[in-house]
Amino acid sequence: MTITRRNVLLGATAAAALAPIAARAQTSEVVIGVTYPMSGANAQIGVDAQHAYVTATDIINNNHDFDLPLAKEVGLPGLGGTKIRLVFADHQGDPQKGRAEAERLITQEKVCAIIGSYQSSVAVTISQICERYQTPFVSADNSSPSLHTRGLKFFFRAAPHDEMFTKAMFDFYDALKKKGTKIETLALFHEDTIFGTDSANAQIKLANERGYKIVADIKYRSNSPSLSAEVQQLKSANADVLMPSSYTTDGIMLVKTMAELGYKPKAIVAQAAGFSEKALYDAVGDKLEGVITRGSFSLDLAAKRPMVGKINDLFKAKSGKDLNDNTSREFMGLIVLADAINRAKSTDGEKIRAALAATEIPGEQTIMPWKRVKFDELGQNNDADPVLLQYIGGKFVTISPPQGAVAEAVWPMK
Amino acid sequence: MTAETIIQSLASGLLMGLLYGLIAVGLALIFGLMDVVNFAHGEFLMIAMYASFFLFAFFAIDPLLAAPLVAAALFVFGAVVYLLIVRFAVRAKANAGMVQIFSTFGLAIVMRGVAQFFFTPDYRSVTHSWFGGKTVSIGGIFLPQPQLIGAAVAMLAFGGLYYFINRTDFGRALEATREDAGAVALVGIDKNRVFALGWGLGAALVGLAGAIMSIFFYIYPDVGASFALIAYVTVALGGFGSVFGAFAGGIIVGLVEASTALLLPPSLKSVGIYAVYLLVVFVRPRGLFGSM
Amino acid sequence: MDTDFAKRRRRDLIVAFCLAAIAAVVPLFVKDSYVQNIMVLTLMWAALSQSWNILSGYCGQISLGHALYFGIGAYTTTLLFTKFGVLPWFGMLGGGLISALIAMGLGYPCFRLRGHYFAIATIVIAEIGLLLFHNWDWAGAALGIEIPVRGDSWLKFQFARSKLPYFYFALALACVAWFVTWWLEDSKWGYWWRAVKDNPDAAESLGVVVFNSKMGAAAVSAFLVAVGGSFYAQFVSYIDPESIMGFHISLLMALPAVLGGIGTLWGPMLGAVILIPVTELTRSYAGGSGRGVDLIVYGGLIIAISLARPQGLVSLFAPKRKEATR
Repeated sequence: MTITRRNVLLGATAAAALAPIAARAQTSEVVIGVTYPMSGANAQIGVDAQHAYVTATDIINNNHDFDLPLAKEVGLPGLGGTKIRLVFADHQGDPQKGRAEAERLITQEKVCAIIGSYQSSVAVTISQICERYQTPFVSADNSSPSLHTRGLKFFFRAAPHDEMFTKAMFDFYDALKKKGTKIETLALFHEDTIFGTDSANAQIKLANERGYKIVADIKYRSNSPSLSAEVQQLKSANADVLMPSSYTTDGIMLVKTMAELGYKPKAIVAQAAGFSEKALYDAVGDKLEGVITRGSFSLDLAAKRPMVGKINDLFKAKSGKDLNDNTSREFMGLIVLADAINRAKSTDGEKIRAALAATEIPGEQTIMPWKRVKFDELGQNNDADPVLLQYIGGKFVTISPPQGAVAEAVWPMK
Repeated sequence: MTAETIIQSLASGLLMGLLYGLIAVGLALIFGLMDVVNFAHGEFLMIAMYASFFLFAFFAIDPLLAAPLVAAALFVFGAVVYLLIVRFAVRAKANAGMVQIFSTFGLAIVMRGVAQFFFTPDYRSVTHSWFGGKTVSIGGIFLPQPQLIGAAVAMLAFGGLYYFINRTDFGRALEATREDAGAVALVGIDKNRVFALGWGLGAALVGLAGAIMSIFFYIYPDVGASFALIAYVTVALGGFGSVFGAFAGGIIVGLVEASTALLLPPSLKSVGIYAVYLLVVFVRPRGLFGSM
Repeated sequence: MDTDFAKRRRRDLIVAFCLAAIAAVVPLFVKDSYVQNIMVLTLMWAALSQSWNILSGYCGQISLGHALYFGIGAYTTTLLFTKFGVLPWFGMLGGGLISALIAMGLGYPCFRLRGHYFAIATIVIAEIGLLLFHNWDWAGAALGIEIPVRGDSWLKFQFARSKLPYFYFALALACVAWFVTWWLEDSKWGYWWRAVKDNPDAAESLGVVVFNSKMGAAAVSAFLVAVGGSFYAQFVSYIDPESIMGFHISLLMALPAVLGGIGTLWGPMLGAVILIPVTELTRSYAGGSGRGVDLIVYGGLIIAISLARPQGLVSLFAPKRKEATR
């Protein structure tokens, strides 16, 4: 339906710029902008995100029996049952395009808030524009720690950032060490992007603080045709833990190349990304028995909170995939944002901002393993506890932190 | 850095280099024939990988068996691309060079869009095949079987191509057309037919490479981009138009890449390839084996 | 013959002046910031493509690596401002000069290369530059650099919401790039370049002077592109190696000129005026589907125009220009 409207607009390119002003006569909806890479190398992420947001919208707009903010009501009761509508925009992973799309969403589509954006570099420019237009930006799935420390008033992130994720890994090592497991040396394997650099920086910092020795720090170019030389260096370092920060493509190549070069690491603890994507396990899952990845989400929660399983089913019906690290954060991000709009009883940016700042959602009313959602003065939720998941027998089980664990970690991996 | 590390790196580099050569040789062939650089070469590789993947997914055909089928399909595709697009591009009266660069470049973008439209942007992999994930170990040096097979196919392809160009009628027609397209028309050779067959042959070689790659590489609409620049550098290094040059260029690129990764941070390993290219062309402006 | 040429040049100048004057008042009536954003980008890419055209169109040295100069401009300005507090206007000049010097340094060995060897050398050099910036920690490496925005200021050339200052700067840059091209067409250099294009043998006899004029063209072209890069950094207020120095930037500089008419005075302008709005609008209104429709439209357009109009779209307007230049 939207496609046809857009195609009409496309046909009249000259008129397109003016058309939306006329098209937006009825304002019985709350419009939220969603911006992702929908074409190019990361298009898959954008498509998956779209399913997650549509699932969340369904739950907000219709009556569902979940103990989740806004699930039981139709629409937003604070605004007299008004429903929310999403407008998707493609930023292609380019900071300039992200900026332009954010500005278009705000000025043309009249969105009251923006949520996004996968790539941290694009989040930098989107959040800048949102600040200039006093429109809240909810960073659903950007994990760069530098994003929330820039003094922005309209930036909010409910999910953990890389330093929190990394801390969970080192807490886990410390606990294992206390039990007598030998963990002394680490090998870092990270791509040369913002994600890889941020992740490695956090890992190096914590390793130094807690007395772990980094025996290899391999920075590689993402989407390399071959990783033999890189894996060769990892192999000769033969650290106690291999810590990759890689997306799906390089993750697949890493695992295949390790097998081909006869390198069997003692343990792998991954900074999610590719290692929480189904495509990676479809390709090389058989070689990954016992791999550990950090995550913001675990399907194990479904045992304790049945709604997690039901929401996963709703999502799976649309996307054919289980909720994962990214899609769960995206889903939750929209719920948190809608909850704030509902409490603000307004679509005014400043009021939504105030409502977001006052957010207090207990962990039980989320699908995440978090303590609660409550933002600090920088807009970061420090109570979003990450989990560590281990891939055992074709699925993930939570092994850390202790309060959420359903199994003991298998260490070293098989 | 132990001797083992060095030998292992160079061995891996050599195997990868042969594959680079196989990927690039189609480009060299087409250029040699008609001075056209196909800027959609990476996307040809992409559809070959998809073809191999779908043959595996729907008919459980092993990529190695699928290779001839994929090559045949790509042959047809290459010939069609020539007849529908390139034929008109080379006919352009003005700016012929630019027109052929940008019409094939436009084709590359369309092919990516079409792949995304029909195949979705999901990452695919051939999950099990005869040689996938297997490896041979000789004295502590590991040689992955898929790359070994790739190297063997590459050498066979180069051998076959050499024979084909020098010993068959069609090969002679190719050579003649390349030397003087006007004169061959006089002897009754249809230039368009030869060019279309040349494009088909070039594409078939990429098809072969794509089928082999699908054994160990992931597949998605943008996968060609990772290999396109390497393929151009390989061909230019060896000398445009020289089939042997592409072979040698591939090996050099593979070895240089592997040794750069030993000396510099691996994220800079392509710098080695690029630097060697620049050094070579500054000394020999037509590449190593290009006709001067 | 010469009088025709002189007449056309005068007419070009008048047309350009009128177009610039019309362009200057448009944003006073079209106030939508999304549309204004497209206009800024269109003018910027027109300026960049016009600058690229000097080296690649008029001299025939097809560069697919101008992203290097774009990046150097952006980085010089941003680094000088964020690390040393140097105002972007000086950074712009500095970045331009550095780029011009580098272009001459690279031109010396590269101009001996022909055709695809030259084009691939330029790609590879830009790619080396990208990798170096990617690994240069002091310059932010992959994390990039954000320019802190502290309210509107002409001195710091940053404006929170208003697009007008950026629009007028981009317009001015496009005018300068056009005027430089216009001036070069009738200069000694322009004369040699035409001579070399029409008659390759002339290249031999003119060898040294032509070589020097190409070095000059490379410097001018790189300088203007670097100023464009500085502008882009100010406009977006965030730079990182991938988005500033990637291969796509080099291509985007070449495309408008190729579609509009390479080696022509008006081609890059015309190409940018068509290409940039189409690109932006297809992404905004067809890209959200996640199915690659925007790519198909965009790529199809490139194929269609380059096949149907090898001389570029500019030939639609002046079918007899070719004779006039001779």
